Formats: sequence, structure tokens, C-alpha cells
Amino acid sequence: MLDAILMEQQGVPAVAIVTTPFRTTGEAMATSWGKPGYPFVHTPHPIANLTENDLEARADELADAVERCLRS
Amino acid sequence: MGSWGSSARCYHRHPLDTVQDPRELIEAYYSAGWTDGLPVVPPSDASIEEMLAAGGLRGDEVIGEVAGRNTVVVADKVAINAVMAGCRPEYLPVVVAAIKGLCHPDFAYHGPASSTGGSAMVLVVNGPVARRLAINSGNNAFGQGHRPNATIGRAVRLIMMNVMNTRPGLLDRATFGNPGKYSFCFAEHEDDPPWEPLHVARGLRAEDSAVTVYASNSLYQVYNQLAAAPEPLLLGFADALCNLGVPNVKGFNQALVVFAGEHAEVLRRAGWSRAQVQQFVIEHACRRVADFKRAARLPGAVEAADETTWRHLFERPEDILIACAGGRAGSWSACLPGWGNKWTRAVTMRVETS
Repeated sequence: MLDAILMEQQGVPAVAIVTTPFRTTGEAMATSWGKPGYPFVHTPHPIANLTENDLEARADELADAVERCLRS
Repeated sequence: MGSWGSSARCYHRHPLDTVQDPRELIEAYYSAGWTDGLPVVPPSDASIEEMLAAGGLRGDEVIGEVAGRNTVVVADKVAINAVMAGCRPEYLPVVVAAIKGLCHPDFAYHGPASSTGGSAMVLVVNGPVARRLAINSGNNAFGQGHRPNATIGRAVRLIMMNVMNTRPGLLDRATFGNPGKYSFCFAEHEDDPPWEPLHVARGLRAEDSAVTVYASNSLYQVYNQLAAAPEPLLLGFADALCNLGVPNVKGFNQALVVFAGEHAEVLRRAGWSRAQVQQFVIEHACRRVADFKRAARLPGAVEAADETTWRHLFERPEDILIACAGGRAGSWSACLPGWGNKWTRAVTMRVETS
């Protein structure tokens, strides 16, 4: 979340992706940077033990949501 | 939950001034979400001013800035939380130095403070201030019963929660946390040490007072009642620091090893230097790549070369931080593994006493 906020401050379009349990943390971080309601994407937890194919499938699932965030 | 976001003294924002019964005051602090789960000492203007005076600080002085949190820590709020934690005013310089350490870029606060690893912020106090404040370095050094140990670390955690925006479930995502998150503060035993004390090893003078802040997610007591020489004794420490469940198997780790009296005496009698101890531990804190792969701590299938390729958990001798504390009796010492990531480093800050 912090990376996305800082990158956007530098003019680089960015979307944060967090796993679902970290939604509250993402919202808290956005609020601490004066951006309550900052849009981001979430995906089920965990991801670290997914196979490469599973990860690619997860990325495909998220692509539309990422695009919506970029356009918002 | 009460707001600490403004520069005003937050406790005045709650209608506490007219409350006469201490229980009501204490409950009000619970209701505001400003405690660590234990009752706090409700501050007053007088107690805050006394705290600031003991630190030689103005209320609006900036103590530090929290990278990644868009937050500045000012002295007034440090003093308020120190009162709430039960600190005596003369403890404040240690609290302030610890907060400066947490805000230091090398400490990289956001990682260890927010991580699922749930690190305690371990405070090792050295120098004259440790003796003057009677910070416990002896029996039960990590345990209960000593006001400065209990309240200095507690003040740091309250400041983290209330000022540095580090609340459980939000920007503190500890899976378990650990009891050291309430307070983890002890002094090094400097009366008869085998080596120069920790703050001197880290570049300060012996006559300086200092606090070293270090993020550790666990405390592992190492037992050995038979070892009479450094090598067998230290093998137990190296083993404890390289088990298959350690958080970071990629290296760049730090660890804090605290030797209590019996073990320190073994090392002192043998004439081993701090550097020798550090070197021995980093050389022996290693496992075969195959071990890590079988336990899925490294990716990929086990290959023939993995059976004879050793992975060391520490790169640099100085990343084994060593202190002496604890009782003279008992064959115990302690390993405190670091948070487990190269992005945070222990920081030693001089304690400025007026």
C-alpha cells in the first residue's frame, strides 16, 4: 500500500494488491497518508505457497480489478 | 478511539478533568483505546511538565519522524505516554533515546513494527544511566518486578500504539505477538564482563549512557550445565539460531545473544574475545541446503550438490549482538533471533541526560 501511495506521489500510476486479511491494514496505511478510501485490490490469503501456475491464474483474476483502480 | 493526530495534548480532549474517582479515569483511558490492556496512570499537566523537565525538553520538540507512517513524534506526547506507562521522570531520557532509535533509518520501523512476526522492541541499556536508574541486569532481567524495566519498555510500546500509529490489527499485524511487546527492557551487566559492553562495541564510549533498540520476535533460552569450554557451549547457540523454523533463511540476519553468569564465566576463563565468539557462532550457524529444501524453506527439488552445500544464516560477525545479563546462578543464556529481514538493523543511541 505504502509503495503504491509513494509511487503515485511521484506520478507513477500504481495499484496495491493485498491479501484479504490485510484490508484493514491497507485502509489504515492509506488513512495515515491522508487518503482514506484509497482504492486497492485484494485477493485471498495466502499467496506465498502457490505454484507458479496458480499465481498466474490469480493475476488473471485480478487484472480487471487492477484496471478499474487505475481508471478510478 | 481518541485521536492523537493533532499537536494538542490529547488527554485534555477527553472529559477527564472533572472526574474524581481514579477508577473512572482509568476506565476512560480504556474507552479511548489508549492503553496496552493494562491500566495506565492518568497524566496531569504537572506530571507531564515534570517529565519534560527531566528530559530537558520543550513539549513541541520533534523527537523523530516515522518513515513510512507520515508521522512525527513530539516530546509532549512522549512525556504523556511515559506518565501513562508509570515511568518516573528520570526515566524519560532513556525513553526518548529509544524512540530516536526506532525512528532511525537503519531501524526501518515499518517492517518490524507492522509485520506478522510480531516483534518485541528489545531495549538494552548501557552505561551510567543504567546504574543510576537501577535498571535490572541481574536475576530475572527479562522478567517482572523492576519498575524501570517494566515501565520504560511499556512507554515505548504505548508511544508506538498511540503516537506512531501501530495498533494491533491495523498497522501492527502480529500473528501471535509475544509478551515482550508489553515491555522488554533490561540493562547489561557491566560490573565484571568478559568483554567491553555492548554500546562500546557499537562505537560509543564506556562513560556514555546508551540504549540499543533491536526487533526480536522470540526469546529462546539455551541450557548447558556441562560445558566448561567455549566450543561446546557455543554450539548450542549456533544450533538455536539456525533451526528450520527461523524466519529468514536467506541471510542478512541479526541475532542478540545474552550470556548469563555461568556461561559468561566459561567464556571469560577461556579468554575468548567478543570477536571470537561472534566468529564461532556465524561459522556454525549453518545447515545444508538440502535440509532447507526438504523442509520447503527453500524452493526446488533436492539435488546432489545440496547435500554438501552449506548455507550460513549470518554474513558478518558483528551481526551477532552480544550482551551479558541475568543471574549468576543457572546454566541458562538466551538467544533472541532478529525480526528476520535485512531491512532492519539494531540501532544504538546515546542517552542524553541533562
